[in-house]
Amino acid sequence: MGMSDGEGTDPLSLAEIEALGQAEGRQGGLLGFGHPTFLTTKVDFVVNWARRNSLWPMPFGTACCAIEMMASAASNFDLARFGMERMSFSPRQADVLICAGRVPYKLAPVLRRIWDQMMQPKWCISMGACASSGGVFDTYSMVQGIDTIVPVDVYVPGCPPRPEGLIYGLMMIQEKIRHESLTEHYSLRAENPSLVGRPRAGDEEVEALAGPFGNSTQQDQLSSAAQTTRPERSEDLLP
Amino acid sequence: MAGENGSAFDAVEQGPEASGRNTETPHGGVGNPAEHPSVTALQGRFDSAVLRHEVQAGDQHVVFLDPGSNRAVLAWLRDDPEQRYDLLVDVTAVDYGGGRPLQIVYQLWSVPHKRALRIKCELPLDGLSIDSVVQLWNAANWLEREVYDLFGVEFRDHPDLRRILMPQNYAEGHPLRKDFPLRGRFSRAEQTRRALSQDYHDDYTPEELEVGGAPGLAPPELPISTDEVGTRLD
Amino acid sequence: MLSEPMLINIGPQHPATHGVLRLICELDGETVLKVTPDIGFLHSSFEKLGEYRTWNQIVPLTDRMDYLAPLMYNCVYVMAVEKLMGLEVTERCKVARVLCMEMERIFSHLLWLGTTAIDVGAFTPFLYAFQERERIYTLHENYTGARITTSATRVGGMMADFPDGWTDSLRDFVKTFPKTLNEIDSLLTTNGIHLGRTLDIGVISGEDAINYGFTGPNLRASGVDYDLRKDNPYYDYETYDFDVPIGENGDCYDRYLVRMEEMRQSLRILEQALDRLPGGPINVADPRVSLPSKTDCMNDMESMIHHFKLITEGISVPAGDCYFAVEGTKGELGMYVVSDGGEKPVRWRIRPPSFVNLSVIAKLAEGHLVSDLIMINASLDIVLGEIDR
Repeated sequence: MGMSDGEGTDPLSLAEIEALGQAEGRQGGLLGFGHPTFLTTKVDFVVNWARRNSLWPMPFGTACCAIEMMASAASNFDLARFGMERMSFSPRQADVLICAGRVPYKLAPVLRRIWDQMMQPKWCISMGACASSGGVFDTYSMVQGIDTIVPVDVYVPGCPPRPEGLIYGLMMIQEKIRHESLTEHYSLRAENPSLVGRPRAGDEEVEALAGPFGNSTQQDQLSSAAQTTRPERSEDLLP
Repeated sequence: MAGENGSAFDAVEQGPEASGRNTETPHGGVGNPAEHPSVTALQGRFDSAVLRHEVQAGDQHVVFLDPGSNRAVLAWLRDDPEQRYDLLVDVTAVDYGGGRPLQIVYQLWSVPHKRALRIKCELPLDGLSIDSVVQLWNAANWLEREVYDLFGVEFRDHPDLRRILMPQNYAEGHPLRKDFPLRGRFSRAEQTRRALSQDYHDDYTPEELEVGGAPGLAPPELPISTDEVGTRLD
Repeated sequence: MLSEPMLINIGPQHPATHGVLRLICELDGETVLKVTPDIGFLHSSFEKLGEYRTWNQIVPLTDRMDYLAPLMYNCVYVMAVEKLMGLEVTERCKVARVLCMEMERIFSHLLWLGTTAIDVGAFTPFLYAFQERERIYTLHENYTGARITTSATRVGGMMADFPDGWTDSLRDFVKTFPKTLNEIDSLLTTNGIHLGRTLDIGVISGEDAINYGFTGPNLRASGVDYDLRKDNPYYDYETYDFDVPIGENGDCYDRYLVRMEEMRQSLRILEQALDRLPGGPINVADPRVSLPSKTDCMNDMESMIHHFKLITEGISVPAGDCYFAVEGTKGELGMYVVSDGGEKPVRWRIRPPSFVNLSVIAKLAEGHLVSDLIMINASLDIVLGEIDR
């Protein structure tokens, strides 16, 4: 578990945290130092309950999925009963980024910037096929899945997903929050500060996320075998 | 669907291919110009500029013009009381591929006379330049910008000819041309990298950047890198 | 102290831009000196994709452009291809498509109504409008299986005939919808706040509107009587009894009134179309597009081969080009298809009404306040999926 952001601090695994705790000679006690204890689990319970029942979504709606998101917020499906009464259009006050719709490359820095402006703790839902993987649009202008740009917690498939589908995705976020722990919070949510605020993704990370379906022409049944070496493309050297 | 000896997916790398059934640019049926009053009027008045006339899809009249005289003829079509094509419905381009000339298509409609007319100008691929008709119809402003963006056709005397749909720093070419592959020329990694490194100064015209005497819009780069923030103790 | 103009950026992520639109405004205090829209944030290269798809495979692409009125786009695309082929659809199909198109007009105008009201701060009409839209979503779903991305038409007909009871549900909708429309009407039309926000805002004269390429309700609000259903009719629209509302001043209020009245006129057309919906097949039995029946395929070789070719290769459209336009929900929606005789188009061009309508915003908003700019943007009824394609 844990999300890495390319070049930067790798989050600590639970084993490493425990090792730290043991190395420091503090195994138990009320406050734990990285190791969950009785008191921290009770605090976790309350904090997680509060967070998951009052999520403020940041609707980053672009296309058809945005209309289904609006329908989810309207009276028939009503997101307000999940605590998402206030759609926060300012990222500074939002908890969940719902990216609903296709994201072309021109919009990619905007999405990255909105994500960076959101305060921790934050989660991301990729709503629809286009946001999750590019959808129908495997073309020159479309980002093939927003997980090449922002870290995604829940993918909601569909074209567009029904409002019930979006609600299920939000409930999955709520479930994810239920199992969070403050003691691991820092390691789970670590973002390298030098990467935050400046919309750049690390080269290796982008390369890793872009293959093997990158620009492969073998989009057929045989392409499930991953290419282990990427041939250098001379076109990438164009100015 | 399958190419000659390659796989079906070659077209994705190389750009869409025509089906190969016609080697010439498809011509429409020979129609009777007398059925459309504007066509006969055009053939009478602009004999040298009108190259040919076609009828497509049963009843749609198309007139091919010499590209050099498009503005003169279109101005007459807009202003002459018998023609009055006051609504410019569409300006677009068609690239047939295979080195054939690019067609610029003007779709016109006359609100008072309730008539439609299609005008085409063929441009050679090494001379993609034509006069803009923004002075005649303001509707042409964005429509011509889009043709420039997606096909690379230069419209002379256009007030603001720059990319409209693609980002300003787009370096892969003009997407709707037939030699442009579907997924673009760069790898996905490179496209993502370029997208995320767009300089938003490109998004503003120089006049906008000068507004309010503000020479730069971005907050200046921090004097120290963010890695060092918190480490300096002064 | 002399005030200096200021440059602000509205969007591309903004609740009131109706999509990913960026407006670069030069302001003098609150007054807009100049506004430049920046588009392309939703450019999905539909036209390029179309060149890689067979003629029928393009239909699902058409839903995703104007996602507020997908059936309208489905219909106009196949109408353009059918005209190029010289294919005449059945009477039932014609009336069915008229039903779909008018239903979409109401569908799209309802969303426009809800979001415009929300832009001026009125939240209730948004909820009412969306509740009515849910009924049309249900109609979409009962017919095509999908709420938004319907893909209901095919070249030569529709994907399927209406299910049992569908026309009764539609008739039910037509009967009960006016009540909600009247409620929203009473909330907005004579509301002082709404009048204050929309009267004399964003005025454009008739000749300017034509020169700038306005079409649809925007143009009619400026006093120009141009409606493709009356001026270049298709599918027997000249035999339907309906009026086309024409405005006087060309301001936001007139655009609002024209669209409200258009919804009522669409209801009239829907009623007449439902009454005259004939029986018979919904798909034309033309060998160029129709699959032979299974019985025939199993019994003779020619049908089997014909079926095989149509399935594997797709239909082929004779060489030529065709521009076909309908009165779309936002204006003149045209499709320009170019074929060289093959199974895939050489060029598929969509003439998007919102693209041309939006370019006029610079002229409309000069001299107004920033809040009026938002109102003008809303009154143009744009959809970015169609603008950026």
